[in-house]
Amino acid sequence: MSSTKPKIAFFDFAGCEGCQLTVLDALQTHTELLNAVEIVQFREAMSRSDDDYQIALIEGSYTRPSDEVRLQEIRDQAQIVVALGACAHLGGVNAVRNAHRLEEIKNYVYGEKAEVYEAASARPISDFIQVDAFIPGCPIDREEFVRAVKSLLQGNAPDIPDYPVCVECKLRETGCVFLYGKTCLGPITRAGCGAICPSFGVGCEGCRGLIPNPNMASLREVLSENGLDEMSVKAKMSLFLTNQIATSDMEA
Amino acid sequence: MTAKILPKHAMQGWIETLREHYRIIGPKPAQSQYVFGDIHSADDLDLSYPTSILPPKKVLLPQREDLFRFDSMGDTPIVEPTFDDEPTVILGIHACDMHSIALLDRVFEKGTTDQHYQTRRENTTLVSLECTTSCSEFSFCKSMGTLSVPENFDLHMTDLGDEYLLEIGSKKGENLLRGFNEVREATDADFERLNKVMSEKWSHFTYRLDFDVTELPALLSLSYDSKVWEELGDRCLACGACNIVCPTCYCFDVRDEVDFSLRSGGRFRVWDSCQLDRFAIVAGGHDFRDTRAARQRHRFFRKGKYLTDQYGVVGCVGCGRCAQACLVHISPVDTFNELHRRRVPSAAAQEEALA
Repeated sequence: MSSTKPKIAFFDFAGCEGCQLTVLDALQTHTELLNAVEIVQFREAMSRSDDDYQIALIEGSYTRPSDEVRLQEIRDQAQIVVALGACAHLGGVNAVRNAHRLEEIKNYVYGEKAEVYEAASARPISDFIQVDAFIPGCPIDREEFVRAVKSLLQGNAPDIPDYPVCVECKLRETGCVFLYGKTCLGPITRAGCGAICPSFGVGCEGCRGLIPNPNMASLREVLSENGLDEMSVKAKMSLFLTNQIATSDMEA
Repeated sequence: MTAKILPKHAMQGWIETLREHYRIIGPKPAQSQYVFGDIHSADDLDLSYPTSILPPKKVLLPQREDLFRFDSMGDTPIVEPTFDDEPTVILGIHACDMHSIALLDRVFEKGTTDQHYQTRRENTTLVSLECTTSCSEFSFCKSMGTLSVPENFDLHMTDLGDEYLLEIGSKKGENLLRGFNEVREATDADFERLNKVMSEKWSHFTYRLDFDVTELPALLSLSYDSKVWEELGDRCLACGACNIVCPTCYCFDVRDEVDFSLRSGGRFRVWDSCQLDRFAIVAGGHDFRDTRAARQRHRFFRKGKYLTDQYGVVGCVGCGRCAQACLVHISPVDTFNELHRRRVPSAAAQEEALA
């Protein structure tokens, strides 16, 4: 019997598959999801693999020239393409390598077999295909994923916050980590995670990407005032934000 | 004045008695700071708290509040409003926060009364606490005229050492002591002790504003084009922390969330902040405060002028929470003083001479 439910497929590129695990987790805590959609491809969870789908959720970043072909195939089939998680959305931690010469990195990782492997600069998938929506985070937030699916089913773009993590920290009355001698990228990072890292006493690393119009210069001063030297600032900002922060700004 | 005396050792008994009828909220430690939260026993409560991360405003206007449920599954759509009428006592509210509640009462009553706020407010009993020492290096209540508790308390506590003097401000306040036998009537000797505390406290607070607070609205009117706003805009991270921790900010955003049926769900409101990028974007995408400088100016005008124009009370109660939360050290008292410094005639004349 054919179903009228929207057909959804999951795809993975370069990434740790933690976002897919979060989806799997969400399917167990929100079983209504399984009634609302038909999953036709999800390598992490099932052996069925059907190429007839309307919504494609793509996890992982572009890291090889051949990825572009596969991305294009998905784009051609899907009506809606969603970047799932920091790797697809921003290039993810993989993009740390972009700050180095590619040949050096290949030799370091693969040694004498370096030439066997294809590799390129790690990029967000939106550099290659049109992306209709993104669900940020490393990994994605389970509740946000569920809300995003509901929005897509309603025909709306998911409502992803464009305010910084500080808002969520204050709303839940988490003590500011700067008060405890730590540093944090919360003031420039997109909220939606519920400020989970600061709530465990760890400063934000920026996995959800920059808010629109971040005040980078002022945050750099704050980080410096709180004891981070230039190298550490650069390192902090290149964990997830390499592709969002222009090279000139990184060196500034 | 009607007053009672509550020995401190009787606090546990009082809280146990109250808990039979009320949810109790009060200041309690969290990490190295304080928050208003549920009080189950006297051990949870710390009335010596300096200040709290969020003001007790959150009890009357929660960070996220359900407004109504809707269901369009059947033939007739159903809309069911949500009200929280749980009898609640807030213990240990400082004077600045009492002033802010007085302001919020006016805001949510004016025009179409906000039924959600009103329902909570009617079912909430306010127990204020006399401030006898300055709570933080950031506060400046004395300058804002908010160091004395306003008349809106139901019960007002003053620490007399091993006892509290409880001033009864309303029937609601009186009800909190009903059926509790460990309080006694205050005597003349108690009032003498109260007078001593009250007269000594003022010297523990400093004036931090360089001018009289009544001049503030006029000062702001003259400072609309001041360069100060650009300077603040350059520093401001637009993180919104100042608004979120403010006891007089009441802007909210209204959102819907549907169930998986996509036909039923709920509408709720969440706190919003005028410092955030998207706050002033209207239909068509126009943003009428698209710079951080314009948003900072708006914030200080709200606190120092607009609310006074509308409600007749000052919009900043001097609690200092925003200054404490600000990573780039933007503070209302420093900002107001800087505006004043640039407006005083001698300085203005000098500026002109140099121009």
